[in-house]
Amino acid sequence: MVLVLALGDLHVPHRAADLPPKFKSMLVPGKIQHIICTGNLCIKEIHDYLKTICPDLHIARGEFDEDARYPETKILTIGQFKLGLCHGHQVIPWGDLDSLAMLQRQLDVDILVTGHTHQFTAYKHEGGVVINPGSATGAYSSINQDVNPSFVLMDIDGLRVVVYVYELIDGEVKVDKIDFKKTSTSNSAP
Amino acid sequence: MSSMKKPEAQSISVTPRPSPASSVPSPRPRNNGSSISGEYGNSSVAPSSAEDFSRQAHLSAELSRKVINMKELRSLASQSLPDSPGIRSTVWKLLLGYLPPERSLWSSELKQKRSQYKHYKDELLTSPSEITWRLVRSKGFDNYELKSGSRCMLSRSRITDEDHPLSLGKASVWNTYFQDIETIEQIDKDVKRTHPDIPFFSAESSFARSNQESMKNILLVFAKLNQGIRYVQGMNEILAPIFYVFRNDPDDDSSSHAEADAFFCFVELLSGFRDFYCQQLDNSVVGIRSAITRLSQLVRKHDEELWRHLEITTKVNPQFYAFRWITLLLTQEFSFFDCLHIWDALLSDPEGPLLAFIVAGKLTGDMLCDAGTGEEEVDRWRFHIEYEVTSTLSNYQHQPSLVCS
Repeated sequence: MVLVLALGDLHVPHRAADLPPKFKSMLVPGKIQHIICTGNLCIKEIHDYLKTICPDLHIARGEFDEDARYPETKILTIGQFKLGLCHGHQVIPWGDLDSLAMLQRQLDVDILVTGHTHQFTAYKHEGGVVINPGSATGAYSSINQDVNPSFVLMDIDGLRVVVYVYELIDGEVKVDKIDFKKTSTSNSAP
Repeated sequence: MSSMKKPEAQSISVTPRPSPASSVPSPRPRNNGSSISGEYGNSSVAPSSAEDFSRQAHLSAELSRKVINMKELRSLASQSLPDSPGIRSTVWKLLLGYLPPERSLWSSELKQKRSQYKHYKDELLTSPSEITWRLVRSKGFDNYELKSGSRCMLSRSRITDEDHPLSLGKASVWNTYFQDIETIEQIDKDVKRTHPDIPFFSAESSFARSNQESMKNILLVFAKLNQGIRYVQGMNEILAPIFYVFRNDPDDDSSSHAEADAFFCFVELLSGFRDFYCQQLDNSVVGIRSAITRLSQLVRKHDEELWRHLEITTKVNPQFYAFRWITLLLTQEFSFFDCLHIWDALLSDPEGPLLAFIVAGKLTGDMLCDAGTGEEEVDRWRFHIEYEVTSTLSNYQHQPSLVCS
């Protein structure tokens, strides 16, 4: 039973001051084992804050991140699943399902976590599952002004994953869930 | 191997002391305790004397009656049980009231209790992830299959009953799970360091690992059912002999259900002094201080000279020796296998714990009066007990009139 927090596109301080207080009060240390961040934090203070929630922090580089050392893509294995991380501004057209599917096949991962559109999505295709946790602060994107803050928490338990989607809508936190599983560890050999 | 005083793995409130080197020969050869079910203890299976033989025969006769004569059994147990396989396991279950005196009721009782324990485990030890998935399956939802070919947006279901991993709600299984983590970690630590010298508990074998798992389960179920006292360090020491004896029962049925049986017997044993674990009750009539006082009074009753030496001449605070004796039932004072013998007597007496202390106190009256004051002296004094107790216990006759009401 491994809890993985996926979030990104915070754009602090340029487009948002901080995460919503209702989110911060839920994100307490000690519960989450890994954090994967799609990028565009943008500053060190957010990096440090995320570190306090969980020391195992993985970040992919967004185009506005101050720290240039974050990688463009990252691959990690958690339990039986391979996860891929990429901000997504590199994938053109932005948010295009086919292009993202290509990236996923390139990285050869079960779950691709990507951002940039500031819009939560979760869909599956032949290569696996793509999840976009949206913007944790509700920052505007170049496509969309009216963004609900959102993030994702995955519970990886054996061959099963439950994805919990946390959204702030009209001042209230709403939680949705999605379940999926895989039948066996049928990944191509690393 | 010389007589072992177990190295202090943990202490409760008394500062740990180094174990003194032994110069006293061991009365019997010690066995480390094999991990194979059925073999344990130090003496050979065959009784070593005519007297032992007759005692064992007497016990076997008692145990095969249709209705066990508990008074007779208690009296036999108070003189310590033979180590022959299976006897101790059955006798302890009878003494702790887990098995009723009527043999015919045994199988139904056991069935009911064992199923109850399984139910506890299902209810209390299932991970929140597992609970979530069971709910999903029971509602008949189809899970999406990764890489199953069809392309689609994954549909989401709104959670209205407030249960998700970050929930802070009182009724949330996730919240409860995170609150229990500290307890789970403490239990894990303590179980791992229980009796590191005995392979049954600590070998690098799957048998030892499964024994540790069982003990952890028992302690966690207990902690969750008893929110008032939860888990306290030392409970693992009290559980250890019980679980060891039951798991090594040559009877397969008993051995395979050792976890469930040990759970109930552990609860029963603890019920006698659970108040000792509650800090608020320390100074009350049922608390630990009062028990220590009662012990001191008993020592005075049985051996005025010893008591005077302790209380007045040397002014040794009873807490230094009595606290650990009482709360851990002497498991830290003697080798594991001697403890099993001592517990035979201890469990046979409803007054239980205090009986053995009188024995210990009685034996050392002479020795202590020669000793000086100070911690080393108390150590040496305690150590002498070990040599004497095994032979003395079989001679000691329990006299009801001497027990404090």
